[in-house]
Amino acid sequence: MRKEQKMLIFWLVILGLLVGFTLFSSWLVPFEPNAMDMNHIYEAPNGTHLLGTDQLGRDVLSRLLVGGRVTLFIATLSVVLSSIIGIIYGGISGYFGGAIDAVMMRILEAFLTIPSLVIVLALQAIMQGSVWRMAMIMGCTGWFVTARIVRSEFIRLKELEFIHMAKMFRTPLWKILFRHLLRNSLPAIFVVTIFNFAGAIFTEVSLSFLGIGVPPSIPSWGTMLYTAQNDLLVGAWWMGLFPGMFIFVTILCVQAIGSRFKQRGGQTHV
Amino acid sequence: MIAKWIGKRVIMGTIVLIIVSFLSFFLMHAAPGNPAAAYYGGNAQTLSTAEKERIETAFGLDQPILYQYGVWLREAMQGNLGYSAKEGRPVATIIQERLPNTLQLVVGTLGIVAIASTWLGLQAGMKEGSLLDRGLSFVSIASSAIPPFWLGILFIMVFSVQLGWFPSSGMKDVRGDGGLVDRLYHMVLPLSVLVLAHVGVFARFLQENVKAEKHRYYVEVARANGVPERAIRKMILRNAIIPYINYVGVTIPSFFGGSIVVETLFGWSGLGQLLVKAVMVKDFPVLMGAILITGVVVVICLFVIDVLMICLNPRLRRGGIV
Amino acid sequence: MFKIEHVTVRINEKFILNDLSFTVPKGQITVMIGESGSGKSTMLSAILGMLPAQATVEGSIFFNGRNIVELAKQDQSVLRQRHFFTIFQDAANSFSPTQKMKQQLYGLTALRMGQTKAVFLAKMKHIVQDLHLPADVLERYPFELSGGMLQRCMLACALYLAPAVLLADEPTSSLDMLHQQEFIQQLKRLHTRLETTVLLITHDLDVAASIADFILVMKNGEIVERGQVTEIFEQPKHPYTRQLVAHHF
Repeated sequence: MRKEQKMLIFWLVILGLLVGFTLFSSWLVPFEPNAMDMNHIYEAPNGTHLLGTDQLGRDVLSRLLVGGRVTLFIATLSVVLSSIIGIIYGGISGYFGGAIDAVMMRILEAFLTIPSLVIVLALQAIMQGSVWRMAMIMGCTGWFVTARIVRSEFIRLKELEFIHMAKMFRTPLWKILFRHLLRNSLPAIFVVTIFNFAGAIFTEVSLSFLGIGVPPSIPSWGTMLYTAQNDLLVGAWWMGLFPGMFIFVTILCVQAIGSRFKQRGGQTHV
Repeated sequence: MIAKWIGKRVIMGTIVLIIVSFLSFFLMHAAPGNPAAAYYGGNAQTLSTAEKERIETAFGLDQPILYQYGVWLREAMQGNLGYSAKEGRPVATIIQERLPNTLQLVVGTLGIVAIASTWLGLQAGMKEGSLLDRGLSFVSIASSAIPPFWLGILFIMVFSVQLGWFPSSGMKDVRGDGGLVDRLYHMVLPLSVLVLAHVGVFARFLQENVKAEKHRYYVEVARANGVPERAIRKMILRNAIIPYINYVGVTIPSFFGGSIVVETLFGWSGLGQLLVKAVMVKDFPVLMGAILITGVVVVICLFVIDVLMICLNPRLRRGGIV
Repeated sequence: MFKIEHVTVRINEKFILNDLSFTVPKGQITVMIGESGSGKSTMLSAILGMLPAQATVEGSIFFNGRNIVELAKQDQSVLRQRHFFTIFQDAANSFSPTQKMKQQLYGLTALRMGQTKAVFLAKMKHIVQDLHLPADVLERYPFELSGGMLQRCMLACALYLAPAVLLADEPTSSLDMLHQQEFIQQLKRLHTRLETTVLLITHDLDVAASIADFILVMKNGEIVERGQVTEIFEQPKHPYTRQLVAHHF
């Protein structure tokens, strides 16, 4: 248990550093991320440009930090949105049960069967554009698992004694829903939200990498890898390596933290 | 029991198809301009007024939207998916060209992943605490955090740019004959990326199952009674494989999702690349068609998995007395 | 057949068996009785050489002059394969749920003797009939059979193998009364026919009374009393045995 605790703190610190650096990137970056310097294009990592420069002589490290802000912002916003939708959908399904539940669950299962990237692509085709829209689309397509967890938590909780008691005392419905059911489901929702966050980062970088997410002019970890495809052919390996490293470490942290909480949740339940 | 189960799966497949077709149809209406124009794409300008009217009545554009959906669905079922806005060719033809490429990639990946992860998972699960056991847990966690396309980028960097062993994109050599060897040669990198992205997680899943199965009562009974180790391994695998196959079924959609990205990165002209291109150039008819077909393919894949489940799980096939 | 001398088993420093010594005479039915937690199943595991990894064993268990405790894992396994057959308590979970009985019984019998499937089928068909199992039992899956039938399938294996020793750990406790009696009858028949040495573990005095030649009474990892059936039931000496017998009638 001690060791687990230490690992959790380790991952939290790394993630905290990453998030901290990207959040305060405006003050921290050594170079203006969009400042071009045609005398220093495609410079390999060196003393001045720690992670090298790109095809327009822009500092890769600066762009990575600022780009991280875009990626993490989209991921956060979309997760908030998807959690809200998921809680409402799963809550209704779980609380009312019966035929409503059966129908809602069949539909949910069907949604889970369609590759989510395909749905995102379809929506992206009709409302492509800003960072906000991107977050909206991802939020609207990322709530399926949350809904399923919320539903099973509600079903588990509503059979418990204190909910029956609350009903007997004619506690108002909203109070039962929010005070009792939702509050007690929060640990489970928290865990699934962490994993959703990792998934959202994945989706953002994938879409931007395909050139249909964030507009390529805005630096994000995905768009940087999108442009890196051409840079690789001229041997600018640092363009491809570092954005991916940032993505990898971030997702690894988030998933590691998620599984720690998941294990801990499991222990308190049993 | 089995009838109920099949019924549930069929209903589910139907709902998937309905949703996918709705999504497709919805796209046509959300697309800018006249739906008929969207349907016929670039050819719309060349149509005469009379033809346009004919289309409008044929599609029932003056009718309620549900009716329109019905008409569209009937057309789609008969193989008429409209015409590409950019190429002017029938969408059905374009998809027919692309689909086999995607299937080759996905089926190839699935095959290798299934064999490799079964072997790895069984080995690791049987030798608890071994290097392989702990190594696999570590690798699977790491591999689930690596975006496949980044792995692809790294591969291109190393194997194409640095070493020059494999081509970085395309499906056949410019001077090549496009034969099987040439095709396989081009397939190496995209296939390895897809395999590496999935194999760890799959092996891990089986490994956990094998570990759980190994401590079951019947294994102890068999071992106490001198059943040869080979036969015991077979028994364990036979039982551990059922949830594993189910898991494969659950993850099949993500295979197609993954192939979209990998196809685009490696210039593999499959369905995924088609989808991405269609979104980029706003070729709605192609987009609609590709989405619909992806949905159909996924449903068919799940059906295959279901059949496999029935074969492997006698409880589903026979139902128990107890 | 077995000679157990000063066997002590500890798991995580806790005594499970404390200085046990007894013999299991050849060709007889020896029954160990005692409540759960008395260490009787641990004794069986020790004989089989299948104690959990964290267990430590002292003393010796002689089988045909060889000390099982000192044998390597591999040799213990060979010994089990050659000479023992064991029937366990939970009949319903004793078989893998995804294989036909044919295959599983083959694995338990002919495979370990190195016989072919054809030989197995020919011989097993008669045994199955003899035990009044359904004619198509070999084509069925475990979940299509009752607990009593599954336990008789284990007996069928014993009949097939005719092992030197038959071990049974609470073989009747998962069965209802009717099937219990049936199983005991079949076991008796098997014993008279094969003259196998039997070591049976049970908490059920009825079972012990109806089948045993010799009885060992266990409590808290020790043997508190031993003797012929009549001695135990008619003149119990130890207070625990008296209590058991008194409750029984």
